[in-house]
Amino acid sequence: MNPLALTPDALHEPWRLWTSHGIHFGWEHGLANVVALAVPLLLASRQDRRRLLLALLAGAPVLSLLLLPSLGGAEYRGASGLACLLWALVGLRLAVRGESAPVGLLMLTGLGLKLGLEASFGSCFLLRPDGWQPLPSAHAWGALLGLAMALPPRLFPRLA
Amino acid sequence: MRPTFTFRFTLVTTVLSLLACLGCNTPETHVRRSSLMDYLYPKEKAAPTPSPAGARLRLPLRLGVAFVPGGSGSWRVQSLLAPGQEKPLLDVVRQSFKDKPWVSEIKLIPSTYLRPGGGFENMDQVARMYGVDVMALVSVDQIQYTDPKWYSFTYLSIVGAYVLPGDANDTRTLIDAAVYDVTSHTFLLRAPGQSQVKGSSTWTHREVQLREHSQKGLETAMADLAKNLDAEVATFKAEVASGDRKDVDVVDRQGVSLRQGGGRNFGGAFSWLESLATLALLGAALKLRRS
Repeated sequence: MNPLALTPDALHEPWRLWTSHGIHFGWEHGLANVVALAVPLLLASRQDRRRLLLALLAGAPVLSLLLLPSLGGAEYRGASGLACLLWALVGLRLAVRGESAPVGLLMLTGLGLKLGLEASFGSCFLLRPDGWQPLPSAHAWGALLGLAMALPPRLFPRLA
Repeated sequence: MRPTFTFRFTLVTTVLSLLACLGCNTPETHVRRSSLMDYLYPKEKAAPTPSPAGARLRLPLRLGVAFVPGGSGSWRVQSLLAPGQEKPLLDVVRQSFKDKPWVSEIKLIPSTYLRPGGGFENMDQVARMYGVDVMALVSVDQIQYTDPKWYSFTYLSIVGAYVLPGDANDTRTLIDAAVYDVTSHTFLLRAPGQSQVKGSSTWTHREVQLREHSQKGLETAMADLAKNLDAEVATFKAEVASGDRKDVDVVDRQGVSLRQGGGRNFGGAFSWLESLATLALLGAALKLRRS
């Protein structure tokens, strides 16, 4: 097992709670997730990006702990759960602002469409990787965490 | 003139004493061995073939660990270790695996319960008695060399045998653990552990040091075995998941086959179509913001 991947060993090897989101099952897997992470970061203003990075740092272990029960003895790698967290967080914060509301709504619609399709098909229907399986619950938990982070206005980034 | 009886007696006694003393200074080798093959496949019987259906392991596993007994006239582990010392050695393996999610319990089985040359029949009996799914059979090969150093001739002075460390002792231990599925008798995996302990001793302290080194060598080799066993389990799991081990399947707690589930490794992922859509959305958002 990869020492950085998320497994039940994370309960006594806590670094796995963070590092599992940074490692992938190949460069294609990693590149697609980097693109998904980059879009909300680019849409946020420069001064808000630091807060978003802090939100990622705080959200990563929570997301990992939420995923642990569904893993069994298997391992998890990938940043898409965190990407969904950012999409929900940035999307909701943009949606409540007058000038950037269309962008925020577009992001939330895209995220909702992805989650809806995954829930309907029970898996990532557009993805057929070798040697591992996509975990739709990572996206659902990530989105829920992002929405939860976006709700209290005092605690979370004020996006431009 | 013929030599007198007294002269002949003195000559013979002197020569024998000299040979006895020189005997102290010759290299010696102690071999202690227990063989897995002698235990599972006694020579007089044909080796039983494993079940053609292969092994189907249901997680979490109940694992039994035992030292293989030596054959008649050969070494038995319990004869080397004082009663109660076998358990601490097996405990090294148990401690390494007690937190692993794929194992529910590890039973330490005394080697006295295993019959020399008992074969799979004996293994089945013991496994039923302890209620285990898989058995890790640990065999040991330990060789102890004692070589005289150049100044070991001082042993002839008697005082030298008590004072000068003229013996170079070298203990090499190889422990091998072979894991078998009890139901199908399928060989699952093996892992080695090895150690080397060196030291010097006086002639009078030689046996004490060899016993100490034997014990220390076994402990170090068991620790090495536990580490290697962990790595071998990971390799085994990967082989089953990739389909390289066609004779074995592993079913997880949810009843999903490891072989059919592609290893049940999970990844959070966006497909390429989704990535293109996000880029399109980024472009649209930036255009909207500029306008």
